[in-house]
Amino acid sequence: MDKCESPNIFFAPWLKAWEASIGHIGEFPAVGPSREKTEKMMKVFPLCTNLYSVWMDSVSDFANISLEAMKRMNDKTAHMDGQISQDKYKEIYNNWIEIYSDTFKEFLRSGHFSGDMSEFMSCLIEAGKYNREMLEENFLKPMNLPTGTDIEEINRELYSLKKTVKELNRKISELSKER
Amino acid sequence: MIQNMNAPNLIQETFIKFKKGSEVISELTEISVGVTPHEIVYSEDKMKLLHYKTTVKNPCPVPVLMVYALVNRYYILDLSPDKSVIKNLLDSGFDVYAIDWGYPSGMDRYLTIDDYVNGYLNNAVDYVRKKSGADKISLLGVCVGGTLSAMFCALHPEKVKNLICFVAPIDFDTDKSLLNIWAKKMDVDKIVDYYGIIPGDFLNMGFLLLDPFRLLIDKYVGFFEHIDDKKTVENFLRMEKWIFDSPGQAGEAYRQFMKDCYQENLLIKNRMEIGGKRINLKEISMPFLNIMAEFDHLVPNESSHPLIKAISSTDKESKVFPTGHIGMFVGSKSQKEVCPTIAQWLKPRSYAQNENKIDVKKSKKNNHKSKEGMK
Repeated sequence: MDKCESPNIFFAPWLKAWEASIGHIGEFPAVGPSREKTEKMMKVFPLCTNLYSVWMDSVSDFANISLEAMKRMNDKTAHMDGQISQDKYKEIYNNWIEIYSDTFKEFLRSGHFSGDMSEFMSCLIEAGKYNREMLEENFLKPMNLPTGTDIEEINRELYSLKKTVKELNRKISELSKER
Repeated sequence: MIQNMNAPNLIQETFIKFKKGSEVISELTEISVGVTPHEIVYSEDKMKLLHYKTTVKNPCPVPVLMVYALVNRYYILDLSPDKSVIKNLLDSGFDVYAIDWGYPSGMDRYLTIDDYVNGYLNNAVDYVRKKSGADKISLLGVCVGGTLSAMFCALHPEKVKNLICFVAPIDFDTDKSLLNIWAKKMDVDKIVDYYGIIPGDFLNMGFLLLDPFRLLIDKYVGFFEHIDDKKTVENFLRMEKWIFDSPGQAGEAYRQFMKDCYQENLLIKNRMEIGGKRINLKEISMPFLNIMAEFDHLVPNESSHPLIKAISSTDKESKVFPTGHIGMFVGSKSQKEVCPTIAQWLKPRSYAQNENKIDVKKSKKNNHKSKEGMK
């Protein structure tokens, strides 16, 4: 469905301008005693830019598809001009739902959407991971509190222990049957 | 532009309906689901095995174990007394068990499909066999529970007398469902590594995106139109409870299912492995019934139907009902057509000592109301 696929003409020039100017700040080499921390914190620039970029891409896509649905709705209801009465509301509503639902489904079915959604999810997760790392680094570790990574290790150990216990129980039960 | 519109009437009617609806809703107490009498007979970690109280004097000697999907909850099969697949089977003379997978928490994130199939499901099957005294039992797998049941039957055919797959995805190489299209491009590793337990809300968002205007707007407009009808309100609220009662998914199991099934489609190619063992669907040799919904937007028929060709059973049948995925459990056809079809197919096969002696013709004749399976 060509009409629904967004060329992203709005955001691309902005991104280029950003990368060529302020976006460079994040790439400056860090200096001084807090070098490592600064480097880590600077990562937020490209992460947020990427997330903002794909988010805008999605917004642009959905704006385009809404426009397309609106056009279709206008075409469908053009003949109703001057005839709208109380009992026609339901018909208009049904048309609206049908047209919007079908138009959006066409878009959601397109490879363009699944590619964009996957990229958006990926950037969202990268940003989430960064937030988590910063939280661990700057708050949890200095306060000697267990981090998500620590809890993950415990979970993995628990899973492994449970599995071993189950396996041992199974073997004991088999051996006692043999006796 | 707007002519002949009697606005005061419309407002008045809407107000009266809203007032009546408010009274109906305020009179409602708790919305109960899964009310068919049962007891928990076995549990392991978060999994519970439920045994339902039989409603006939001499139930079929071969018990039925219902295996629901890991997504959403099993009680859609027992939503209310008049919309209950479980109650219908009990009344048809079966001894029914069901698995409740529970809500996985952080420590379950490393559970694999092997743990679910060769662990929990296998132990539940063994328990039912031991308790009932039957050497083999009938498995009724629903949705992804059907996929897990097919995997189990391929690995442990000696424990299963009959297999029924109920809207179960097996061949994932289709673009009929949006889920299949989206799953192909998902970075599954990144999602699992980040979340650990895949949140139920994450999955729900995907389901709502399948048809956002109908699921997020039209459904509630329709509800408002019948807000003054107590029974409709009760049913609506029960469904809402079920739809948004979404357990998270154990990360490693989700990772393997998405990659091996949705992305690489290994199961139908007999190349999927769990616990180091390859799943060969040809090992499924017991009587098999494949039930599909004609208008299924989650598991298209193209995804379910190939199982019948992939297995080696000689007694096998497909049935397609003109309804949707959820309609199979709670729609008007569920109680009148789907459940009786299952009962009529299963009954002779639950008594027969020798599978070859089953009067399949008689069974088929009884199923005349349902559409014949796709050839």
